[in-house]
Amino acid sequence: MFILNPQSGVPIYRQILEQVRRMVASGQLPPGTALPSVRDLALRHTINPMTISRAYSILETEGLLERHRGRPMTVASQSRNHTQLPKRLEQMGPLVEQTVVAAKQLHLSEAELVKAVRREWEQNDD
Amino acid sequence: MTDATVEASNLSKSFGDKQVLQDMSFGVSPGDVIGVLGKNGAGKTTLLELMLGFTPPSAGAVRVFGHDSYSLPGSIKSRVGFVPQQDELLDQLTVADQLRVIASFYPRWDSSLITRLCGEWGVDTNARIKSMSVGERQKLSILLAFGHKPELLILDEPVASLDPIARRQFLEQLLTISADGERSIVFSSHIVSDIERLANRIWILKDGKLDWQGDLDALKESIVRLHIRGLKPELAPFKILGLLNLRRDGAFATAVVRDWTPEAQEALEKSASVQIEVETLGLEEIFVELHR
Repeated sequence: MFILNPQSGVPIYRQILEQVRRMVASGQLPPGTALPSVRDLALRHTINPMTISRAYSILETEGLLERHRGRPMTVASQSRNHTQLPKRLEQMGPLVEQTVVAAKQLHLSEAELVKAVRREWEQNDD
Repeated sequence: MTDATVEASNLSKSFGDKQVLQDMSFGVSPGDVIGVLGKNGAGKTTLLELMLGFTPPSAGAVRVFGHDSYSLPGSIKSRVGFVPQQDELLDQLTVADQLRVIASFYPRWDSSLITRLCGEWGVDTNARIKSMSVGERQKLSILLAFGHKPELLILDEPVASLDPIARRQFLEQLLTISADGERSIVFSSHIVSDIERLANRIWILKDGKLDWQGDLDALKESIVRLHIRGLKPELAPFKILGLLNLRRDGAFATAVVRDWTPEAQEALEKSASVQIEVETLGLEEIFVELHR
């Protein structure tokens, strides 16, 4: 379910946070979807369980995941409400920033960058 | 009395005139997996041996399950497991004999676990220890420390001679041990990628001191490399809080800092009117940067 890289400078709990947020926002993880248990994920990826439970707890606090006794955590039913446009846009923030920095280094104009984004957008549609 | 598995306060150790460890305070809680990093000779083995009570501290104290480590009662010792850097196997024995000898010390010995792991790890119980390779001997010393299901497992460079497959099997077993959140593991290793997988907390030893201790996640968030653009020449020398290393090249600079926060970025960008790109670092890079 997750692509996790322990050698990355991005802590594993953050990698999980970002991927769950993105998959929930995009509807890839619809409400009610069960998440793998901390233990399963830890053993499957050979990573420390605490960093996973930390991610799950943060996502629970954010209202994205729901905890159930003796059952796996699930994507919260009202999670759509938590992913209104500003929130989803906020998640794009770092990616947008990186893209803009790179474009400026390449001496591209704003219009040229927007054009490139639009082209990619349209290609991705089909 | 305390719930801490290990508690050290102002721990120091000298051998003759040579001070190896200086004024260390730390704790280990149930469920912790602590990765100990340090250059050769940084004092990792001495630190582990103090926790095991092999040698008394020169100053300060380390308590294991609430008891002074140098005078641990037998009942407490049996809750601790240790894999030494240099194995202490008996050459003339077979694997099965060696397992029997160690098992006889521990009423809680889990022989079905060890039998299963011998099979999974490819340890031939009929082999004579004398004829085993370094890697095979290492596997066996690890098994010897697992069998009594210690609540505190201390490992000193346990995997230096293991191949990647054997190392992965070993990591998986350690994770299984720690997954119930009740047992603690402290292990030193130069294989940083293993520590990155397994540890939730990191101790970095440098010059006889704990240069950094805390969550691995926090370490990766606080030590980062900054790429700074738009520096003005008149602002030299350039000041950053918690600066470890700085390379400046005209309007550009690369800086490695500790204790980094998003707020620090904002403040710096405003006060020096520069643009900053933050590069996160893997544990190995962080370790190297702390030693530059």
